Amino acid sequence: MFRAVTTVDAALRALDELGPGAQVIAGGTDVMIQRMTGSLSKSEPLVHIGRISEMRGVSLGSESITIGALSTHRDIRTDPILAAHLPSFVQASSTVGGWQTQEVGTIGGNVCNASPAADLGAPLLMAQATLVLVSSGGERRLQAADFFLGRRQTALEFGELLTAIEVPIPAPGSWETYIKIGRRSAMEVAIVGLAARFVVDGAVSAARLAFCSVAPRPMRVPDAEVSLVGTMLEDEAIAAAGRLCASAVSPIDDQRATASYRTSVVPRLVRQAAEACRSELV
Amino acid sequence: MTAIGARSPRSDAEAKVRGLANYGVDYSETGMLHARLLRSPAAAGRITRLDVEVAGRMPGVYAVATAAEAPPHRSGLILMDTPFFADDVVRYEGEPIAMVVAESERLADDAVSSIVLEIEESTPVSDVGQALAPGAVLVHPDLETYQSVPGAAPWPRSGNAGGILTSDPEGVDGAFAAADVVVEDVYVVPRQYQAYLEPKSATASYDGHRWTIHVSHQFPHNVRTRVAQALGVELSRVRVVGEHIGGAFGARLDLGLEQFAALGASMTGRTVKLVNNRSEDLISCMSRENATIRVRSGVMKDGRIVARDFECLMDGGAYAGDTPYLTSIALLMAGSVYRVDTARVVAKSVYTNTAPTGAFRGVSGTYICFAIERHMDQLAHAIGMDRREFRLLNLFESGDAMLNGQVLDDADILSEAFDRVEEVAPWAETGTGMLRGVGIASAIWLTNPLAGSATVTLHEDGHIGVSTAATENGSGAVAMGVRQIAAGEFDVAAEDVFITLPDTDSQAYDAGSQGSRTTHVVGMAVHNAATQMKTRLFDIASGLLNLLPEDLELRGGNVCMRGDASVSVPLAEVAGAALRSGGPLSATGSYSVPLPKWDPDAADGLLFPAFPVPTYHVHLAEVEVDPVDGRVRVTRYVVAQEVGRMINPDGVYGQIQGGVAQGVGYALWEGLENVEGRYTRRTLESYGLPLAVDIPDVEMIVLEHPHEAGPFGAKGVAEPPIVPVAAAIANAVADATGANIVRLPIDPEQVLNALDMRDS
Repeated sequence: MFRAVTTVDAALRALDELGPGAQVIAGGTDVMIQRMTGSLSKSEPLVHIGRISEMRGVSLGSESITIGALSTHRDIRTDPILAAHLPSFVQASSTVGGWQTQEVGTIGGNVCNASPAADLGAPLLMAQATLVLVSSGGERRLQAADFFLGRRQTALEFGELLTAIEVPIPAPGSWETYIKIGRRSAMEVAIVGLAARFVVDGAVSAARLAFCSVAPRPMRVPDAEVSLVGTMLEDEAIAAAGRLCASAVSPIDDQRATASYRTSVVPRLVRQAAEACRSELV
Repeated sequence: MTAIGARSPRSDAEAKVRGLANYGVDYSETGMLHARLLRSPAAAGRITRLDVEVAGRMPGVYAVATAAEAPPHRSGLILMDTPFFADDVVRYEGEPIAMVVAESERLADDAVSSIVLEIEESTPVSDVGQALAPGAVLVHPDLETYQSVPGAAPWPRSGNAGGILTSDPEGVDGAFAAADVVVEDVYVVPRQYQAYLEPKSATASYDGHRWTIHVSHQFPHNVRTRVAQALGVELSRVRVVGEHIGGAFGARLDLGLEQFAALGASMTGRTVKLVNNRSEDLISCMSRENATIRVRSGVMKDGRIVARDFECLMDGGAYAGDTPYLTSIALLMAGSVYRVDTARVVAKSVYTNTAPTGAFRGVSGTYICFAIERHMDQLAHAIGMDRREFRLLNLFESGDAMLNGQVLDDADILSEAFDRVEEVAPWAETGTGMLRGVGIASAIWLTNPLAGSATVTLHEDGHIGVSTAATENGSGAVAMGVRQIAAGEFDVAAEDVFITLPDTDSQAYDAGSQGSRTTHVVGMAVHNAATQMKTRLFDIASGLLNLLPEDLELRGGNVCMRGDASVSVPLAEVAGAALRSGGPLSATGSYSVPLPKWDPDAADGLLFPAFPVPTYHVHLAEVEVDPVDGRVRVTRYVVAQEVGRMINPDGVYGQIQGGVAQGVGYALWEGLENVEGRYTRRTLESYGLPLAVDIPDVEMIVLEHPHEAGPFGAKGVAEPPIVPVAAAIANAVADATGANIVRLPIDPEQVLNALDMRDS
């Protein structure tokens, strides 16, 4: 069964009616493949939310930026507000799959699918985003850190819909990036991804490092972040943070890369991000 | 007007771009049934239960075939080692065990799922080392009872080795003893999947006596031979009609699914279509074999290579296919390009419990070149000589002989190719700087000599029709090469020539689009046909023009008085006149390339003895490695390639660019590894084909030394541009990292490890 809705209310009614088996679909770039390969059941009903216009678009508030869950990767890749304030989101969305995927795939889908390799997971965690979850019973708001529970596991409950993502506007002096490692130059699933932010006011006053594809869910490395505070991103400080990150991650071997490769890339990514920031801000 | 060398669009371009061309998978007939195979989920074992009763009773199911319904004998390309369906024993994951024929693909799928199959699994022989170890389990305990195909020369085989080539001249050990320095390297390469766009398919019908098979295939006459062999019938009872080919690269030279569709057709009396899904296509494809190559050389401090030991172990998979032939390439390459005083060569194709391997553009040449050229760098390092200078010092010259005794009369082209590469990419100035490197590699390659034919007809509108069983596999060899050669023979525009698709009933034997042979061999067949036909053509025109035949020539679609185009008669008019004087103007020509002289005593088991119409190649790669993720970026790629003569420059450039692209994939990303006989990468998503953004723009230097026999001087072009690519890139990565790159693909992990080792 395939039900298409055009409002949030209709979507919530459909989810309530169809029960726990119902699968929400927007761009379908994950759902359709998982139904084909059997990791999702082919017989469960689909609720298509892709045309709910109120859930799409980026808006700038006084303290935060709201990204509609149905904003496509192309929307994010080309959005001027995000380019100005949250470039790591722009970078992450522009590395998701190929252009075809970016045209239809949404940030909400990327987040709710909760693949360990999801590109947007790392910037969401790094930027301390809040996820807005709506159900017929009301609305609740969760920190990204509380939303991702494990590989393909989230805090989303039956009947709930992720409608928007609110991201605090970064403090002045912030510099951020998302760097993705894949085998080829495009069309890749992340082998390792790093979303990094440094707030620099003479020295580093805050740092955030969030990785994807090195654990069952996106993860931050608080020890490494703290270790950079007060430094000028000197080589030794970067190396120390890199070592802390390498010992914090718990990657696996899969057909894309080995755990040891992923682990050896982690400190190199930290160095690349920190050196890029240093050359611009410090 | 000359069509030769013109950048004419290929004849099939518009139909392919518009989606009007019909490929094998598009072929359909009214009332056609659909078949599906049950393939072995186990790499090795014994079938203890195979129950198809439920499947056979399902609605919409017309037939279920197992070994019990199939011909009982074995068949094969050179060695008859392959059962129709696995009967008692399964030898690789993906081996066909049964087939369902049903009204729809879906019903066939459902019925296959309801077949009860139980296999008592055994430990698979999953690599060559294991297969050749003393006391190894034999993949084919009955190997000695298997027959080779009629006409095949005998060759040694035993144990798990389906083919063994040995060349062990006297004095090799003595030469090593006299060497200043001895260096030994071992290289390991993975399988490479041909990854064509169109998955394999076949559609067959049966009229009570003969089978007709529609298929996109590089070698329709081999399908005829092999289906007849598998069914145990005379070959003329099989007709093969070729459709447009959605990519092939060697994977469509031997049987694919044709014999199954044929069996389904004769069991049901209906047309039966069978199509692989992508995953089963990848898993069961006869990919380029994985191999282990050991090279040991003795050199003098002055740079001379005085001795070599070369051992090449090739994983043929569960059935031999063409791999016993491919062992010969080791002899043809181990002492070519660079002089080696004496060499011992052993090459084995080895049975394992993995999918059978087979032809892929450049076959074993790709990795033999990789091994030898990497080793050349190591030798140069060992004696402290510049890598390019070391090569030039040992470079073949005209008159030098390969290890098979074949003398190369035109090997001086190699030196020209090195010089031309140096002009555009000076060795001393290329690949310099941190984490950058340069590599160079060279190869001699053949033009496959096997037979072909073509019938050329002058139609009554002045157009030239060419009917040939030669196949257009995408290379342009037919759609550009043969077409423009025919146009050149009659001095008409390429647009005035049309070529029919293959049909083994109406066209004589053609050995298929392999080894760059089509433009050269079928071009010669067209030339021979045209030469015959022109005798009558000039005869008839001479009557129309009142001139002697020897005073006539062809120009711009007319027969003209030699030197005076104003006295002329259009070809169309001559064709019309022919109908009233002896019948239509049509002739058939045939050709096969005479084999060069070689020494039959050079090796034991030399099934593929020489390199006819050799061509010469030098590739240079410049790379940059990324210190963060270890990825290799090819920043510059230069090819100097001898082609004889360009029939269509765009065709030549396209083949070089494409060959390099496939070679870059082989060097950096692709590869099928198995764990316990099961491939770890099982879809195109994980397989890792290169993307357009990962492929450099190739700088091409085309050398033209026209071949004396023709056609218009053209030699083989399409196969060799893949041969030196992995070698050149690996040498460049080794230069950039200081590591001895011995394994393909050169994945980021290998590079990061090399950088770590260098830094520690």
